[in-house]
Amino acid sequence: MLEIEKLAVSYGKHIALHDVGLAVGKGETVVILGANGAGKSSLIKAICGMVPARGESAIRHLGKSLIGLPAHGILEAGIATVPEGRGIFGDLTVDENLQIGAYVRRARQGEAKRRALVFELFPRLAERRRQTASTMSGGEQQMLAIGRALMSDPTLLMLDEPSLGLAPVLVQELFAALSRIRETGVGLMIVEQNVRISLSIADRGYLMEAGRVVGQGSATELIEDPQVQRAFLGMAATAQ
Amino acid sequence: MLATALITGLVLGGTYALVAMGLTLQYGISRIMNLAYGETVIAASFGAYLLNNAIGINPLLGLALIVPLGFVFGYLVYGLMLRPLVARSRDAASLEINSILATFGLLFVIQGVMLVAFGTNFTSYSYMNFGVNVLGANIAANRLLAFVLAVAIGGGLYLLLTRTRWGTALRAVAVSPSSAALVGIDADRAARFAFALGSALAAAGGVIVSMYQTFTATSGVIFTMKALIVVIMGGVGNLLGALSAGLILGLVETFVATYLDPGLTLAATYLIFLAILLWRPAGLFGRAR
Repeated sequence: MLEIEKLAVSYGKHIALHDVGLAVGKGETVVILGANGAGKSSLIKAICGMVPARGESAIRHLGKSLIGLPAHGILEAGIATVPEGRGIFGDLTVDENLQIGAYVRRARQGEAKRRALVFELFPRLAERRRQTASTMSGGEQQMLAIGRALMSDPTLLMLDEPSLGLAPVLVQELFAALSRIRETGVGLMIVEQNVRISLSIADRGYLMEAGRVVGQGSATELIEDPQVQRAFLGMAATAQ
Repeated sequence: MLATALITGLVLGGTYALVAMGLTLQYGISRIMNLAYGETVIAASFGAYLLNNAIGINPLLGLALIVPLGFVFGYLVYGLMLRPLVARSRDAASLEINSILATFGLLFVIQGVMLVAFGTNFTSYSYMNFGVNVLGANIAANRLLAFVLAVAIGGGLYLLLTRTRWGTALRAVAVSPSSAALVGIDADRAARFAFALGSALAAAGGVIVSMYQTFTATSGVIFTMKALIVVIMGGVGNLLGALSAGLILGLVETFVATYLDPGLTLAATYLIFLAILLWRPAGLFGRAR
């Protein structure tokens, strides 16, 4: 579904991504792992059109090239993003945020049905439809950001550090919801620090380091991988 | 005297509110601080005057002609003059400075054209200039019409922005342009549209003002300043805030002129402005960010 080849991104002289290649299959859940500064966020930003990819890069979604498309064009192509920090509209109500989520043309049909799905996934949003978004808790705002992204009828949903700043119980709840979204057939690409829980709902994962993909494998392979265990799961190489 | 002051104040305040709504759209959504805003208002006043005196089209019909012209004017100014600045500006602060400088120039261009065409004289025309009794106060019919029009146009705009998806999208751009892109709103197009809409409101305000007030080619700056005060009082980008702040300002000015001294109105205006800047910098209705 999503195919990326030779993706390169630089900010001035600083090279953030170099020769990155990865793919997300239809309905697949893929986790991107890596330390801070490995280029995970740049990857998301390049795909959703917030930073330009360099000339040799190729990004295709469902056969359509995304290179050079504006951010709204990428959304029309079926990729929705939940950015780090959520990016919801604080002064608007929950209902208005969801309404604006269905702003793109592809989302106009079946809007009511998707809104019902969002409220089914996140009952708390249904209780707070008229509340101003900025007055909600961090967890609720994250739910709203995901709900808003789902309103655009995506085939691929990208999430940048969705668990950041959430209490452990909310992280559990969040991933339970993501797992249900996955069951609806939407592809997921998740950038996460919380490796264990994200791999638990994932099919596959990629390891990034210094702007490159340095490893990949199925979720079960990765969770057993000594390199992953050492780097992210806080285990000594000799343990287990 | 109280009823007269109250009604006169509401009429004046309604005009202020309408004019300020346009500026708050331009500043809040397009992020352009338009110093030539008042000149757009006055140009529309002259347009209404010309239509009324030269071709005999009354200002009510003139409104239907001049408001779309105001929209087109704003659309072109944004596309030709401001869009390059937006593309070039690194951040919101540098865009603000660039737009202030550019529209400061535009102010003198429009004013110069009007000075050549109409001279420096006070201009007015007579339309519905007869008294109507409202709650015991004798008010000119044109003032009442001005109030009704301001309320209708301002109310319509409010409904448009709060009850339609398209209006919600414009407000979303005002809240966060970067997030607007993430939900598929073309922030650049929204900015151009909001700027054009703001100019259309300025034009509406100009026609309405000309129904009951005299104006000159150089009185635009007064409208820019009053609109700016109302926008800051109400909170940038806040339409209901602009509406209430406009009415408050109109009432205060009228009451000061009636009960204290007409010479003190400007002083009272700036006193309110200063007090708000000092104690409620986010506006009377704005939240602190």
